[in-house]
Amino acid sequence: MDESNPVACPVTLGIVAPAPAVSTCRAPSEEACLEAPLTLDRFLAGVERRAFRLAEIALRDRDEALDVVQGAMLRLVRSYGRRPSEEWPPLFHRILLNGIRDAQRRRSVRSRLFGFLPQHRDDQRDDDTDLVERIPDGGPDPERRLMAGQAMQRLETALGELPPRQQEAFLLRCLQGMDVAEAAEAMGCSEGSVKTHYFRALQSLRAKLEEVW
Amino acid sequence: MSGEDGDPRNEALERRARELFEASASELDARTASRLARARAAALAELDSHRRPAWQWAAPVAVAASAALVAVLLTRAPDAPPAPIAASDAAAGIEALELLAAGDDLDLAAEDPEFYAWLELAALDDPDGQG
Repeated sequence: MDESNPVACPVTLGIVAPAPAVSTCRAPSEEACLEAPLTLDRFLAGVERRAFRLAEIALRDRDEALDVVQGAMLRLVRSYGRRPSEEWPPLFHRILLNGIRDAQRRRSVRSRLFGFLPQHRDDQRDDDTDLVERIPDGGPDPERRLMAGQAMQRLETALGELPPRQQEAFLLRCLQGMDVAEAAEAMGCSEGSVKTHYFRALQSLRAKLEEVW
Repeated sequence: MSGEDGDPRNEALERRARELFEASASELDARTASRLARARAAALAELDSHRRPAWQWAAPVAVAASAALVAVLLTRAPDAPPAPIAASDAAAGIEALELLAAGDDLDLAAEDPEFYAWLELAALDDPDGQG
């Protein structure tokens, strides 16, 4: 996977708005890239960063998020790699969401079993280190990026305090850009439930963030 | 995505959250981006290992078929002599053929019925065959 001199090209994924600068391919020109069929490589390259951020926000752990995304990629390739490319986005996000839920469940069990031990407490996250690590390399305006990073940190903290289903609804509907039907399919619930969870999530987040944003 | 109720405060929150998310996703640090690229490469390598070209499947099949053919040819020697027939079996067969070929003895009952009637009476008179 040589990324030394990639030609950036947006990939339209059906349920996801075109992602700027998240997809790379080695086509000789952007036109050729856009005309090329959607391969698994291009699809995964187009969704991996957003998928990672969704998992990281939900799990609040970078390594765990990377594991979940890698697992989702592997599962998609192994089980659905030969399916038509139009089916990949909903399948991938469903797999991703299941991976996040599994990780949360494992963490919950671990927490119940070993919660009394200080080294296993999940709330002991090294937020200061993460914030510094999240500052992107290079860039013309580091101060603006740092402020955006802090605002994102507040959003993640507020999202972490939401009930799991409200959190999922917000991640998929707002951040991932899915419509109600797509979010319902990924969450495995009715469209009415998605609307309800999403509305409550918005109310909670507004109450927590309106003052500080 | 208007918060389902068209509330401008919800719309502002959604817009801001989306902007921050997009920025954080597109401006990932190099280390994380590299780990993601490696994860993708590993997943796609898995696909390549499943998608073997036809010749890679044909070669082992051809080798196995050739080995089976050689084994069959070696176990079936073309000049092997037929198993010998036992001498007693051969003699019995020859006697039976001679009897059948003779023919005249088989017509005794038709030619001399009196002899057989006497033979039957003699057997009744002396059941022990000692007389």
